[in-house]
Amino acid sequence: MEAVGDIVRFENVGMRYRLGGEVLHDVSFSLPAGAFHFLTGPSGAGKSSLMRLMYLAHRPSRGSISIFGRDLSTVPRHELAALRRRIGVVFQNFRLLDHLTAMDNVALPLRIAGAKEGQVRDHVAELLRWVGLEEQIDSKPTTLSGGEQQRVAIARAVISRPQILLADEPTGNLDGEIAIRLMYLLEELNKIGTTVVVATHNEALLQRFPHPRIRIENGVLVGSSDMFDIPSDVTEK
Amino acid sequence: MIRPSTDLPLGADPASRFLPWTVGFLVFLATLSLAVGMLMVSANGNWRHNLLGTLTIQVPVGPDKQEASRAVIEVLRAIPDIQEAKRVSDSEIATLLEPWLGAQTSILDLPVPILIDATVADGRTIDIETLGARLSAVAPGTTVDDHAVWLKHLMDLADITGAVSLSVMVFVLISMLMTVVFTTRTGLAIHGEVVEVLHIIGAQDSYIARQFQVHTFWLSGIGAAVGFTLSTGVIVLLQFYGDRLTEGLLPDLALGGVGWGALCALPVAAVSLVFLTAGITVKRLLGRMM
Repeated sequence: MEAVGDIVRFENVGMRYRLGGEVLHDVSFSLPAGAFHFLTGPSGAGKSSLMRLMYLAHRPSRGSISIFGRDLSTVPRHELAALRRRIGVVFQNFRLLDHLTAMDNVALPLRIAGAKEGQVRDHVAELLRWVGLEEQIDSKPTTLSGGEQQRVAIARAVISRPQILLADEPTGNLDGEIAIRLMYLLEELNKIGTTVVVATHNEALLQRFPHPRIRIENGVLVGSSDMFDIPSDVTEK
Repeated sequence: MIRPSTDLPLGADPASRFLPWTVGFLVFLATLSLAVGMLMVSANGNWRHNLLGTLTIQVPVGPDKQEASRAVIEVLRAIPDIQEAKRVSDSEIATLLEPWLGAQTSILDLPVPILIDATVADGRTIDIETLGARLSAVAPGTTVDDHAVWLKHLMDLADITGAVSLSVMVFVLISMLMTVVFTTRTGLAIHGEVVEVLHIIGAQDSYIARQFQVHTFWLSGIGAAVGFTLSTGVIVLLQFYGDRLTEGLLPDLALGGVGWGALCALPVAAVSLVFLTAGITVKRLLGRMM
C-alpha cells in the first residue's frame, strides 16, 4: 500500500551491476514528502547503490520503485529526464565538469531544462552568492578547494528547486566546521519543503543532527527509525 | 580556432582531433570519384550523340578516286534516309593527321583515301551491308563505317569507369560514416562519466546527442571544406591539361553546370550525413543506458 504523500517508495527491490551478484536485496521502504533522512551503514554496504536507484541512474533488477507516485517500470525512457529534473543530487566526489566554470556548472540544470540565458545568469549568480562563492563565479573546479567544490555541487543540485535532494557522503571531503555548515544548509532546504536524504557514515554528524535513519548492511535494509511498513524492532535512532 | 562550446569537453578527445583530416581526405577522394564518374557519364552521352547517326565512307586510293567519290556522294544524296553527305576536305584530313604526321606534311603527297561524312536522318536507320554493296558497285573497294564497334567499346569503357568511380565514392562515404561512428563511440566512452552526470541532472538523449552532433559537424565541416577545395583545384587542373592532351582526338570532357552543382552538393551532403550519423550513434548507445 502506498501511503498518501509518499514521494519515494521501494518494494522488494534488488539490484545488480551487469552480470555481477546482487548488491541490494529485498529493499523496501518509503519516504514521505518533506522528510529528512540519513542513510547509514558501513562502507560498501550499498548506500551509493541505493542512492543510484533513487536518482534514477540505474534500474532495479527486481522489485518496484515509485518516485513522485510514478511506478518507474511503467515510465517511458523519454519521460525519465523530467523526473530527474525534480531530483537534485550531490555526488560523493562532486562530479563537477572540470572544463566549465562554477557559473556554468551550476547553470547546467537550467540550461538543460531550456531556461532563458538572461534568467540563468541572474539566478546562478544569486545562488553562488548564497553559498558564499560570489568571488569564484568564473573559477574552474580544479582551482577551487574541496569545500568550495562541494558548495558548487550543492548549488548545482538545488538550482532548479528539486523536490528531492539526495546527497551521497556530502561531508566526506570536508573538515568538521564546513560539514556542519553544509548540514545546516540542507536543513534549510528541508524546511522549505525539499525531501532530503543524506547518505553518510559520519557518526559525529549523525549524533549532532537527530534525523531519522535508514540503515543498510550488506545490501539489506536492517533498520529505520521512521519508515512505513518496516517492523519497529529494526528501528534505530 | 573558434569552436562552439559544449557541456562535454569533446575538443580534447584524441580521436576527434583527427576527424577533420580524415573527413577532408575522404571528401577529397569522394569528390574526385564523383567528378570522374560524372565525366564518364557525360562523355558517354557526348560520344553517343556525336557519333550515332553518322557514317564515315572511305573511298580507296586510286587514279579515279575523285570521280569515284563524286559518284558515291550522288548515291548517298539519292537515299531519302540520308540527310546529308559531304566530302571531308583535304584541310580537315590534314588537321586529323597532324598529331601523327606533323604540320609540315602535305596530304597531297600521300596516298590518303577520300573520306565522306554522311548524316542519317533523325529516327531513321541504314542497313550498312546493303549500303556498302550499293556504294561498292559505283566505287569498288568503298567501305562504310557506322562506328558501332568502336563506339560500343568506348561506351563500355566509359560505363565501367563511371560505375567504378561512383562505387568508390559510395565506399569512401561509407568509410567516412564508419569513422564518425567510431569517433563518436570513442567520445561517448571517454566522457561516459560526464554523460551520466548530464543524464542525472535531467538531460534528454537528444540534448547529449546534439553536443556530439555540433562538435562533429564543426570538425567535419572544416575537413570537408578543405578536401573539397583541394579536389576542385585538382579537377580544374586535370580538365585544363586533359583538354590540351585530347584536343582533336576525343570529344570534350567537361563538367557542366549540373555536374558542378552535384560536386558542390557532395560536401554538404557528406557533412549532413556525418551530423545525422553522430546523432543516431549517440542516441542508440544512450538508449542502452537507463
